[in-house]
Amino acid sequence: MRSHKIVRRLLLGAIFLFFYFPILYMLVFSFNDSRSLTSFNGFSLQWYDKMFHDANMLEAIYYTLVTAILATLISTIVGTLTAIGLSRSRRIVREVVSQINNLPIMNPEIVTAVGLMLFYVSLHMEKGFVTMLLAHIAFCIPYVILSIMPKLRSLDENLAEAAMDLGATPFQAMMKVIVPQIMPGIVSGALIAFTMSFDDFTISYFVSGNGVKNISTLVWTMSKRINPSINALSTIIVLMITITLLLVNLLPLIKERSERQNKPYPKRVLQVASLCVLLFVGFGLSWLKNGTKQHMNSADAIAAFGSDTLKVYNAGQYIDPQINADFEARYGVKIIYDTFDSNELMYTKLQGGERYDLLQPLDHSRITNLDLLADEVKGVSFDPDNTFSIPYFWGTVGIVYNKETVALEDLEKEGYNILADPKYKGHLYLYDSERDSFMMALKALGYSMNTDDEAQLSEAYEWLRKVVTTMDPEIVTDEVIDAMINENKDLAVVYSGDAAYILSENERMGYYMPKEGTNLWVDAMVIPKNADNPKLANTYIDFMLEYENSKRNSLFVGYTSGNGEVLEELSGEGGEFEGNEAYLPRSGYEKDEIFHYNEKARKLISELWTKVKISK
Amino acid sequence: MKHFKQLTYPYMIWMIAMIVIPMALIVMYAFTKQGNDVATLQFTLEHFIHFFTDADFLHTLWISLRIAFITTILCVLIGYPIAYAIASGDEKRRNLYILLITLPMWINMLVRTYAWIGILSDNGLINSLLEMLGIGPQKLLYTDFAVILGMVYNFIPFMILQIESALAKMDKSLLDAANDLGADGLHRFLKVTLPLSLPGVISGITLVFLPAVSSFVIPKLLGGGGYMLIGNVIENQFISVGEWNFGSAISMVMAVIIMISMYVTRKLDKNDDALSRKRGKV
Repeated sequence: MRSHKIVRRLLLGAIFLFFYFPILYMLVFSFNDSRSLTSFNGFSLQWYDKMFHDANMLEAIYYTLVTAILATLISTIVGTLTAIGLSRSRRIVREVVSQINNLPIMNPEIVTAVGLMLFYVSLHMEKGFVTMLLAHIAFCIPYVILSIMPKLRSLDENLAEAAMDLGATPFQAMMKVIVPQIMPGIVSGALIAFTMSFDDFTISYFVSGNGVKNISTLVWTMSKRINPSINALSTIIVLMITITLLLVNLLPLIKERSERQNKPYPKRVLQVASLCVLLFVGFGLSWLKNGTKQHMNSADAIAAFGSDTLKVYNAGQYIDPQINADFEARYGVKIIYDTFDSNELMYTKLQGGERYDLLQPLDHSRITNLDLLADEVKGVSFDPDNTFSIPYFWGTVGIVYNKETVALEDLEKEGYNILADPKYKGHLYLYDSERDSFMMALKALGYSMNTDDEAQLSEAYEWLRKVVTTMDPEIVTDEVIDAMINENKDLAVVYSGDAAYILSENERMGYYMPKEGTNLWVDAMVIPKNADNPKLANTYIDFMLEYENSKRNSLFVGYTSGNGEVLEELSGEGGEFEGNEAYLPRSGYEKDEIFHYNEKARKLISELWTKVKISK
Repeated sequence: MKHFKQLTYPYMIWMIAMIVIPMALIVMYAFTKQGNDVATLQFTLEHFIHFFTDADFLHTLWISLRIAFITTILCVLIGYPIAYAIASGDEKRRNLYILLITLPMWINMLVRTYAWIGILSDNGLINSLLEMLGIGPQKLLYTDFAVILGMVYNFIPFMILQIESALAKMDKSLLDAANDLGADGLHRFLKVTLPLSLPGVISGITLVFLPAVSSFVIPKLLGGGGYMLIGNVIENQFISVGEWNFGSAISMVMAVIIMISMYVTRKLDKNDDALSRKRGKV
C-alpha cells in the first residue's frame, strides 16, 4: 500500500511540474536583465517598466478586460433567461434550440471564427471592438446555457407556480424562486464565459481589427521577436488570476466559519470587500484607458483637419512608437495604429469587399519635405513623381551568412543556389514571403522576378520545392532576426534592413546580395482613396520625412532611411551603421529589379507558395 | 406553466443571426465561385475537387489527423493514471489538485505556449541540460515533437478533469463487492473501474481531439512558419491568400470530419453503455 502512495505522489508531482514549469520559467525570465529567453543575466525590472509604458500593451489589457466583463455580463443574463425559457418550452423547440446552440461548441473555433468574419463582411461591418464583443457574446452564451440547463432539469417546476399563486409576479417568481436555486449553474456558466472570453485568440484574431487587439492577438503579433515584456505581462496575469482564484475559493470557507460561529458582521465585510474589488477594477480600467490615450486640444485639430483621428496601417515592428506619440502631441490628434504581418495580409484586409488598386494623389502642398529624399529613392519606376507614394524605408533582399562557417566563395559561385547546396543542409532559414521566395527562385533560374509566364513560375516552384524537401530549411518570418544573432543557423534569406540589425548585433554575420540580382524594394506611404482624413494623412507623411523623425525611426527599426541626409549620416564615418554592408544596399545594378504588381502572377504564386510550405 | 416561454425568443433571433447565418455563409462560399455578389452567385464544386485531388492538401489533412490522434492517445495514457491518482485521494486533497489543474487553464493559451519556445529552443534550457549529459544539442523546437508537446500541454487538463469526475462519481461499494467476490486488483480495475470511467474517457477524447485537429496557433508557434496543419491552411487562405471560397470549402471539410468523428465516438459510448447495462442484468 505504501509503494502505492509513493507512485501516486510521483505521478502528481511530475504532472504539476509539467504544468507549472513553463509558467515559472516565464516568471523568472520576466525579471531577466537581457533580452535573452534562454540565459539569465541578472535581475531587472526593465520589462515591467517597458510594459507599463507601452500604450499597445495597456490598450490590449484594457480591451481584453472590458470585452471579458461585458461578454460575461451579457451572456450570463441572456443565457440564464434563455435557459429558463427553454425549460418551459415545448420539447421540439428545446431540442432544436439546443442543437443549434451546440454548434459553436462542437465546431472547431476556426470555423466559427471564419463564419463570423464572413457574416460581418457581408454586412459591411468594420472590424473592431463591437465586432469582437458581439462575437465573444455569441460564443459565450452556449456555454452558459449548457451549464444552467442541468440545474433547471432538477428544479421542481411547481415552486414557481406556487409563488405566483401566492401573488408573486412572474418576474418576482423568477428572481426569488428560480434564480436562487440555479445559482451554482449561473455562477459556473459566468466563470466559463469569463475565461473563454479572456483567453480567446482564434475568434478575436478573425473578427477584430482597426487597432483593436486583445492580449492574445497582441502576443501573436509580438511572438515573432523575442520580447520579454510578454513575460512581464504574463506574470501579472498569473498573479491576478491566482489572487482571484484564491479569493473565490477562500470566501466560502470564511462564510462557513462565520456561519458556524453565528456572527452576523462578516456579511457586511463581504459586501465591503466586493465593493472594494469593484472599485479597484473600475479604477484600474479607467487608469488603463487614460494610459492608452492622451487627448489634447483636439478642438484645434478638428478645426485644422476636419477630424482628430488618423488611422495608420503599417507592417509589424516597423516604427519607433515614440514618433506616433510625438505626432499626437504636436497636432493634438489620436492615431489608431494597426499592423499586418505580410503585404498579402494587408491587401486582403484593405480589400474588404472593395478594390484596393485605388489610391488618391498626395497633396504636395502639405508635403514640404519631399526634397529631403535620398537620390536612391527619387524617381522610382512605379511612381517617378511621387504622385501617389512617398518612400518610407528601402533596401534589397539578400543572404545573411555566418562568416566563419560559410565560405564566401561558395556564395559568389552559387548565388541563390547555395540554398540547394547539400553542404548546408539543415542550416538555413527561408523567409515566409511568397513574393520574395519566388523572386529568389526566378533569379536563381535566370528569369525576371516580374514574370507571369506559367512555365517559368512552375519551374521556380519546382526549385523551391526541391530546396524545401531536400535541404530541411526552416521557414520563418521575423524570428529569423534573433535566431541569426544567436547563430542558430548559417544561412538566412532576409531583408537588408533586418540584416543591418543582425550585422550590428553580431559581427560574425555578413550580408551578401547574389549576382543573379535581387528585389530592390521601396516601402512607401500611401493614402487610400476612401481614407477618412486625407489632410491629416498628408501631414503625417510629411512629419515622417523630417530629418529628426527619419533618423530616429531608422535607428529604431534598423532599416535604410529614405531621407538622404539621414542615410549619409548613419552609413558614413562615425555613423551608427558605418561599415554595415546591409544598411547601404547596392543601387544601380542592372539585374536588380523593382517589383511590379501582376494580379495573375500573384494568385499563382500565392497558391504555389502554400503548396511549397505544405510539401515540407 | 408556459409563463417563461417568451424568454427564449430574443435568443432565437440572435442565434439565427450569429450562428445559423455564419454557417450558411461558409456553405455558400464553399459552393460558389469567386465574386461575392449575390446576384452573380455561381454554383461550383471546384473548390472541393481542388482539395481532394491535390496530394499536398490531402497530405496536410492526413498529418493533422495523425498529430491530433497521437495527442489524444497521449492524453489518455498520461491523463488516466493522473485522474486515478487524484480521484483516489480524500475530498480536500481532490479539490486542491483540481484547483491546481484548472489554474494554468486560466492563463492565456498563447502565453503558455510562448513559454515553451524559450525552453525548447536550440540553446534553451532542455538543450543545455542535454549538453551537460553529453547528448545534445538536439533539434526540439520546430519539430513534430514540439507541436505534440504543446498540444498535450494545452489539452490534457480537459482529459484529466473528465476522467476524474467520472471516477469520483463511481460507487465505491462496487469495488468492495468485487473484492468480496474474490476479484484481485487488476480484475477489479478492468471489470469495474475501467468500464465505469469510460464515459469520462470518451468525453475527454472529444474535448482533446477537436481542438487538436483544428489548432493553428500551436503548430505555428512551436512548429515554425513552415509547419502547416489543416488549420494553418484555412488561416492562410483567409488571411494571406484571400481565397475565401476555397478556405470555406476546407473549413467545411474539417467541420464534417469532426462531426463524423464525434458521432462515431458518441456511438461507441452508447454501445458501451448498453453493453454494460446488459452485462449488469445478466
